[in-house]
Amino acid sequence: MIPPFDYIIPETLEEACNILWEAGKDVGVIAGGTDRVIGLRNGDHSPRLLIDITRIPELRKIEEQDGRILIGAAVTHSEIASSPLLKKYGRVLSDAAYEIGSPQIRNLGTIGGNIVNASPAADSLPPLMVLNAVGKIVSREGAREVPLDQLFKGPYETNLKPHEILVHIGFEKLSSVMRSSFVRLARREAMAIARMSMAVVLRIEKSTNLIEDIRISPGAVMPRPQRMSEVEELLKRKSPDEAILKTASQKVSGVMVRTSGVRSSTSYKAPVVEALFLRAMRSCLEDRG
Amino acid sequence: MEVTLKFILNGKPIEVKVPPHWTLLRLLREKLGLTGTKEGCGIGECGACTVLVDGIPLHSCLLLAPKIEGKSVETVEGLGGRDSLHALQKSFVDHGAVQCGFCTPGILMSAKALLDGNLHPSKEEVKEAISGHLCRCTGYQQIIEAIEAINKDVRE
Repeated sequence: MIPPFDYIIPETLEEACNILWEAGKDVGVIAGGTDRVIGLRNGDHSPRLLIDITRIPELRKIEEQDGRILIGAAVTHSEIASSPLLKKYGRVLSDAAYEIGSPQIRNLGTIGGNIVNASPAADSLPPLMVLNAVGKIVSREGAREVPLDQLFKGPYETNLKPHEILVHIGFEKLSSVMRSSFVRLARREAMAIARMSMAVVLRIEKSTNLIEDIRISPGAVMPRPQRMSEVEELLKRKSPDEAILKTASQKVSGVMVRTSGVRSSTSYKAPVVEALFLRAMRSCLEDRG
Repeated sequence: MEVTLKFILNGKPIEVKVPPHWTLLRLLREKLGLTGTKEGCGIGECGACTVLVDGIPLHSCLLLAPKIEGKSVETVEGLGGRDSLHALQKSFVDHGAVQCGFCTPGILMSAKALLDGNLHPSKEEVKEAISGHLCRCTGYQQIIEAIEAINKDVRE
């Protein structure tokens, strides 16, 4: 049973920041609530006040600004999955949003919630890592911009301070020469939490057939979302043939094992993460046209 | 402390006092007497508690009641009654899509949302629309057939 608390739905960001600042301890922010309500039910946290940020206009928009895409923190996964703007300029993210949970979860859960909850298995995070996404965070003290790869400390842990609110996430539009792919493996197709996933962004220089830009981020296999820069370096300025992809895939599992340690599941996960990486890369390469 | 909520319930405006930590599911069942909406897992996995909020299927077990202020909520009771079954309900009966019946109210609401936005869904779209529902009796086939039959009725 969910323990009692008070509930405020501010209409403006300023109001939300003020309430959060003045309320002090034991206060929580809630967006869709798909993670938060389960936490309340399980007794993981028991705030005396919840501040609902889903009716603040700035947090509800997807917009294009100076070559960047900005997504409000309270935009739902369904809205991301169906956004024409994201299909065009951030497909890796809209594809991932479409794979999250079930229709009902996608209709309620938000991208901001997915980020601040910081689950290692969150489906939006590998795509945001390969998009070089930056979060805008505000409080009554002011605003700051944080690259998302610096926001995560560990499983379910971020650098967000208690009185801060994530307003939006921004990233540079993927140009039409960039290819991207998100692949995901779960125990069943709908509803299940991702067991492992892989997000890749790739740009190949047409005239030389060399990899000019490569960004790789796996999901659910490391304690926090991060890029595999070691593998990226290996692939840069190389021709994407099967031999180099094979070498790179072994490096992917190598980095995973080094970061997460050898676990009872490693003998399963190592070949599978390699296969997911290859699948994501091949999907980008086939897409090249 | 209780909050006063004003919203549209099955087409009628209502005003109700509710503690803010109650979910919409609890409000519907324990205060408003609408027990058609079921609690299955309580954590957004099974879909039994699905209702429509502004036409969109949501888990009422994960939705805190204050969130519905000013919105329109539809439950299975708004679909039809014993003597006035909705075409979907009738089709479920005709196709044997109901066995224990626990998942049925939620699935009906997801099916209604699908058909409201798309009169001619493909089989894949029907499957996608009900992918957030667990049914342990029927094996889904009859449910899919029941929903598809509606779209055929409309076409004919």
